[in-house]
Amino acid sequence: MEQAQAKGMTTTVQRSVEQATLVYLLVGFAVFLLMGILGLLMRLQHSGLLQLDPRWFYRIMTLHGAGMVAGILLASLGGVARVIAPRIGLSPRLLWSAFVVYFLGSGLVILSTLVGGFAAGWTTTYPLPVRGDWPASASWGFLLGYTLVAVAFLLWCLAVLVGASRAFGGLGNALAWPILFRRPDAAQRPTPTGSELAATVVAVDGVIAVVAGVVYLVPIFAELLGVIEGFDVLFAKNMLFLFGHTLVNLNIYLAVALVYATLGAYTGRQFRMSFPIALAFNLVILLVLLPYFHHLYQDFVQPWPLHLIGQFGSYAVGVPAFFVTIVGSLGLLYGARVRWSAPVIFILAGLWGWTIGGVAAVLDGTIAINNLMHNTLWVPAHFHSYYLFGAAGFTWAFLFHTLGGPDGWVRTIWARRLSLLYALGAGGFVTAFFLSGLQSVPRRYPVHIPEWQGLAQLAVPFVLLLGIAFLGLAMYVLGSVASAWRATQPVAAGDD
Amino acid sequence: MQIWVGVVLFAFALVWLAVLWWVAAQASREVPYEGVSQVVSRVRRLGVPIVALVLAVAFLVSLPFLPFPSARSARLGSPATSVEVTGRMWAWELSQTRIPLGQTVEFVVTAVDVNHGFGIYDPSGRLVTQVQAMPGYTNRLLFRFDEPGTYTIRCLEFCATGHHLMVTEFVVE
Repeated sequence: MEQAQAKGMTTTVQRSVEQATLVYLLVGFAVFLLMGILGLLMRLQHSGLLQLDPRWFYRIMTLHGAGMVAGILLASLGGVARVIAPRIGLSPRLLWSAFVVYFLGSGLVILSTLVGGFAAGWTTTYPLPVRGDWPASASWGFLLGYTLVAVAFLLWCLAVLVGASRAFGGLGNALAWPILFRRPDAAQRPTPTGSELAATVVAVDGVIAVVAGVVYLVPIFAELLGVIEGFDVLFAKNMLFLFGHTLVNLNIYLAVALVYATLGAYTGRQFRMSFPIALAFNLVILLVLLPYFHHLYQDFVQPWPLHLIGQFGSYAVGVPAFFVTIVGSLGLLYGARVRWSAPVIFILAGLWGWTIGGVAAVLDGTIAINNLMHNTLWVPAHFHSYYLFGAAGFTWAFLFHTLGGPDGWVRTIWARRLSLLYALGAGGFVTAFFLSGLQSVPRRYPVHIPEWQGLAQLAVPFVLLLGIAFLGLAMYVLGSVASAWRATQPVAAGDD
Repeated sequence: MQIWVGVVLFAFALVWLAVLWWVAAQASREVPYEGVSQVVSRVRRLGVPIVALVLAVAFLVSLPFLPFPSARSARLGSPATSVEVTGRMWAWELSQTRIPLGQTVEFVVTAVDVNHGFGIYDPSGRLVTQVQAMPGYTNRLLFRFDEPGTYTIRCLEFCATGHHLMVTEFVVE
């Protein structure tokens, strides 16, 4: 009787988690679509087909960047929570609390840009937030919004760390150290799955990133309050990018956890925890903290060893990911009688784009090359490859799998065609960005001279293809939300 | 340089596309996973040292081309001319706008309000070098102009509403 009650309670909790995480995924997807429309406006402006006032362009640019990061991160956090909750045991109350905080933060960001006029870019490089040509209230709103988003992310990270430590009998076990250090009793210890290990690694680095974010934001708030007159811009930049660069990098590792959780359903094969996976993810804990220095290569006053660490980190961070996740995923696909579907196409396209974004980052992470590419459109080319194909693409693969797989609408001919259209649109879109970077077109310009407009005009049809693909897929998502929601309704004890 | 960067990236992109296309073509077949798993392990065992070696060589080869003053000075010689550059929202101030051809020039770059990016575009519109202009700091940028003509300075660090208007020119002769 007690066992049945306990089982019923577990099922109820699990369904509440599924409910919360479904909301994370869907809200994140909706934000992604809306921010994509803003992206289209920006490329239309670059191509000369739209004449937005530069003030509005910069507001849109700021919101597009902040919103994309926030939306995709939210969906990834929800997806990963859904995958790891059965063993790590995340509480639905915590997930809902973090969601409300995240939502309030995002609302402040939207208000402060569209109504307040804040337009410092999503990176908000100090001292721009306190010296920009917009009201101080807008800076307050935006930075408080960021603070709330960071608090929500921190809550998620802490919950994962506590849950993983409990579930696996210590953080070392959660990080697969018995396998990494080949302990003789490794087989007797609880072993995390690839998704659980990835989530724990993200949580460790997430806490570090948020601490850097606090160190960055507190003096800015102090300056806005008039408590201090200013602080060191070089130190600020280091903290800003330790926070921001690390955060967006961690998003890909969350998305990787979702690849691990998705591919098995279509290949009949699973990522098995092994020494290479344990080694790769433990290396990532350190390596993911190093590449941010490449944002400061052109700050020549930065001590030169930090520049070299940045180049080393930019080179090294991709190696574990490539040989473990990418090569491993291709191994899962090869000869597996794959059940072709929207999630598989998104993952395969993501493996291509993520790698291309990584190679572009290695090139740009080379100090000598960075001197010619930094802050040209090469930079958005790199991170759009990485984000659109990788972080977002993998997350949407999981969303589609959750809502429609593995035998549902994701396998229909139209879902597959729309997925191929997405891959084509995304590929053309980032190619135009890369070519513009090679042409030395500066990023973050609202007005492009005629010589620069051709490549932006080339990008527009591909963005429209992306729009059509996501519009179609969004229809499928909408059509399956109701049944997915019903499936998460709590059931009476013992009734499963 | 930009052309070679593009060649490397697009060549890799095509090769990688071909690899993934091949994997996708093989994905519908049935091959025992044990065999595939062994190949994956071999790719990892051989691939990691090869990629590490390629990256290590690239790292070392790139070092002489660092843009920092000491490295540029070693390659180009000591500067014969010094130009003071100040960035402010939203204009550049240069102590001189005529630069001697074929001599090493030192730009002493700072900013008075927020971060700016001092990017130099050659007469054909190609970015040839850059450095950050930072409030409270002075960055030294060394460069030698071997092509005469009108060069354009564009701000490459976002600095609010007038960022794109922060453009000026100098002449190399």
